[in-house]
Amino acid sequence: MDRVNKAALSTLLGVGVFAFWMGLYPQALNYHEQNQLFLFTGDYFRERMALPGGFADWLSEFLVQLFYYRWSGALVLAVLAVLLQLAVWRSAGCVDKRGSRSLYALSFLPSLLMLVHMGNMEVLVSYPVALLLSVSLCPVFARAGWHRLWLIPLGWWLAGPVIIVPILFSVLLGRKWKDVLVLVFTALVYYAGYRLLAAQYPMRDAFFGVNYTRIREMLPALQVIIPLMALGCIFGCGLPMKKTVPTILDWALFAVLVLGTALGVRQAYDRDAYEVLAYDDLIRHERYQEVIKRAEKYQPPTPVSACSVNFSLFMNGQLSARLPEFYQCGTQGLVLPSIRDNVSDLTSAELLWMMGMPNITLQYYFDSMESIENGRLSGRFLSRMADCNLVNGWYGPAEKYLDLLSHSLFYRKSALRRKEMLRDEAAVNADPVYAYVRSVRFRDDFITGYDRLDLMMAILYNQNENNFMAAEYYNVWQRLKQMEGQR
Amino acid sequence: MKRWIPLLAALLTVAACKGSTSYVDLLPDIYPDYIGVTVPAGIAPMDFNLPAEYDRVLVQVTGSNGGSLKVQGKWARFPLRAWRKLTGQNAGGTLQFTVLGRKDGQWTQWRDFVMYVSDAPLTDYGVTYRKIAPGYTTYSRIGLYQRDIHSFQEEPIIESTLTPGQCMNCHTANATDPSQFLFHLRGKHGATLVQQDGHREWVTTKTDSTLGNMAYCYWHPGGRWVAGSINPVRQCFWTGDQQPIEVFDTASDLVVMDLRDHSLIVDPRLTTEDWLESSPAFTPDGKTLYFCKAKAYDVPRQVDSIRYDLMRVSFDAETGAFGEIETVIPSSGNGRSVSFPRPSYDGRWLMYNESDFGVFPIDHKEADLWLMDLATGQTRPIDEVNSPLSESFHNWSSDSRWFLFSSRRDDGLYVQVYLASIDENGRCTKPFVLPQRNPRKFYHDIMQSYNAPDFTNARVRFDTRGVYREVFSDQRVQATVKP
Repeated sequence: MDRVNKAALSTLLGVGVFAFWMGLYPQALNYHEQNQLFLFTGDYFRERMALPGGFADWLSEFLVQLFYYRWSGALVLAVLAVLLQLAVWRSAGCVDKRGSRSLYALSFLPSLLMLVHMGNMEVLVSYPVALLLSVSLCPVFARAGWHRLWLIPLGWWLAGPVIIVPILFSVLLGRKWKDVLVLVFTALVYYAGYRLLAAQYPMRDAFFGVNYTRIREMLPALQVIIPLMALGCIFGCGLPMKKTVPTILDWALFAVLVLGTALGVRQAYDRDAYEVLAYDDLIRHERYQEVIKRAEKYQPPTPVSACSVNFSLFMNGQLSARLPEFYQCGTQGLVLPSIRDNVSDLTSAELLWMMGMPNITLQYYFDSMESIENGRLSGRFLSRMADCNLVNGWYGPAEKYLDLLSHSLFYRKSALRRKEMLRDEAAVNADPVYAYVRSVRFRDDFITGYDRLDLMMAILYNQNENNFMAAEYYNVWQRLKQMEGQR
Repeated sequence: MKRWIPLLAALLTVAACKGSTSYVDLLPDIYPDYIGVTVPAGIAPMDFNLPAEYDRVLVQVTGSNGGSLKVQGKWARFPLRAWRKLTGQNAGGTLQFTVLGRKDGQWTQWRDFVMYVSDAPLTDYGVTYRKIAPGYTTYSRIGLYQRDIHSFQEEPIIESTLTPGQCMNCHTANATDPSQFLFHLRGKHGATLVQQDGHREWVTTKTDSTLGNMAYCYWHPGGRWVAGSINPVRQCFWTGDQQPIEVFDTASDLVVMDLRDHSLIVDPRLTTEDWLESSPAFTPDGKTLYFCKAKAYDVPRQVDSIRYDLMRVSFDAETGAFGEIETVIPSSGNGRSVSFPRPSYDGRWLMYNESDFGVFPIDHKEADLWLMDLATGQTRPIDEVNSPLSESFHNWSSDSRWFLFSSRRDDGLYVQVYLASIDENGRCTKPFVLPQRNPRKFYHDIMQSYNAPDFTNARVRFDTRGVYREVFSDQRVQATVKP
């Protein structure tokens, strides 16, 4: 295949991946972004580097912060996909001494499989980053000889267990008895490194990765298959062929791989889960009309989706009028009781914030952040938690959160603006959002809970008749209760 | 000549600062507030910071019994060995601090302050605690840790990364002795881990005739018995801006487990439906069990009516039989509530919390530490250590000359550990927060609270690999009810 065709295929991959994330699953970008908070601090770097695969993790979190904007997030993933494909192709040049390569399309397989793999929203970007680092090191390992003795621990520390790819590559390429020693040495490195850096993790994490997925207990099959396939593709592309492979065959292979990827994507991307993520993404960006439009076409029959659609209806002034048109599941579809995950509570938290219940908002956001399984902070959640603390005049925690946010890229400006309000009641009261929440919030301090939410709405409306949100939600709550009773 | 050394050193210190130095006749605004605190000899260096606008700090420490230290940097960072030597040399004396700070190129010197070095050594190895986000119902990272009090060395005993999905309750040692300790693991593979002299047992303490697993435990000094409360915990919200949540027990009973046969003593007087029994603690002679008891109300509606009295009951360590129950502090009659009674290990004092209501003082700003003289029965709030914000969980050092407690005084939410000493007359010294390197940054950046702190007289030894295997093996010893 000539250079023009190769460039065309690689460009096609990049454009395709960009369009995939930008057009089909931008909510996944939002999900990844809001489940971490990259900080430009030495402590943050040191904390990541304290674990195997830490550099890949740090680098990936640096990249994921760019997911704050859809286009930059899609661009990052597109570039990663193309770089991985090029790294596979480049490594294939080491297989044959003459450097001959063929089947360019085969080098796309790991990148396309990665697209399928990332349908599992808990797969972190650190995994493709670690694989890219590892595959890129294949030519280095192939020539390293005994230098592998220091490259292996270093690679394991930087990229994690997928460093096995260049190790196996060099062993298979060399096929010498001393390479068996390299494998034994690798096993020792994995074990010793585990005891040294990850003693508070289960041992299987030393072999399958501490930070490749947000939920460590999960081990998707593709996490094991993709590195092996990458290795296979490198050898597949690098094996010497007697005849030149016709360009059309490469294009055909590429078409088959794309078709297979499409089928894989269909299987791997849970429609309902991604729909709920889409609602959350749109509500975060105040695009309520789009939530309604999506729900008109398809709405998952879950309380989380009902809550999001109902809130969007309210924000468009259509809640009472169009309530029966959409899926309803009683009062919990209006405001959810706290659920221990990192997505479900977000819409309820937002609407309770607007209605004047900052304390419950604080709990919902706090619990959502603590539900991020890998223990990361969230810029989005932390930002709203700072708001709740400012409204309450709890300046100590607010300052802590704002200081953290001020070390980030996209939350910094707003954090610095809000830091100026700390311990300045006049400044807080002058802020339109804070002033509004303070004006509609409870005037009396009493104990309550979710089971008395309708009563709380009634109190909010009675103490401030401008709080029409509390009034409308109260009325709809009663209607939904009636509907529940009739069922 | 010797007495001129401190003056000469101070002069040299001032001379070291280039440019003019202005003197302010005020105490420096240092963080943490270590001015006038009393520390044990050999404690970790008491590093401190000046306000952020000072880019440089210069500190001269001079001991009343000799020795001195000079440090300069972004914060007062004392070298470990030199600091320990200095405090050791000055046990029973004072350390005088001369502090200079540089702002906009200008040096300022403040009035000197002193730190007292107690003549009572803190012989314990360090402290243990749980670190947890100060929140609500969900925790992503949680762990039990031990910290060498004589250095900055902190190491995990167990972290939730090892046992994902399992929340862990507080580590409870027998009178600071880590050869006997237990903690409860909640979740799918939940159980109470009891470790004695390196031998571990995983006990399911929930039985058909008890409310649930034992949660808040206390060892009998003999090591055979463990008292524990069984209390399903819930929370509800405050609507105002004073505090976010209220934590309460929906029910609460008190049982004692015999570790010889894992049987529970369920006394009907301590497992009543209409009353809540909680916070057990044995006296050091093992003959008395203190606990708190309150009338049960409809929760959460009447949660602010629940007020605990301090009770005690005699205990026969041979048979496990309880004697007569008596009220020690009828605080509910005064509109107050007692929690966490902790007798000192020398049998002299009993420290406890008092708040307006409930048994979880950490969420109560008004919660304070109180002290009872066990010889006279007299009680008083420990004003020397209390603050306008909450003081909560507390424990004694093995020799009962020091105590530690958790407090939210720093920022109102994130809990820190404070230490203070007590003399034979019950007078306590000004407390100091657990020392850290670059403490302002450390405490400002940390996103976890220090929970349920305790002293440990030696380093806790714990086989995490073995624990991992055992947690997921689900091999458990089922507790029974003693007939």
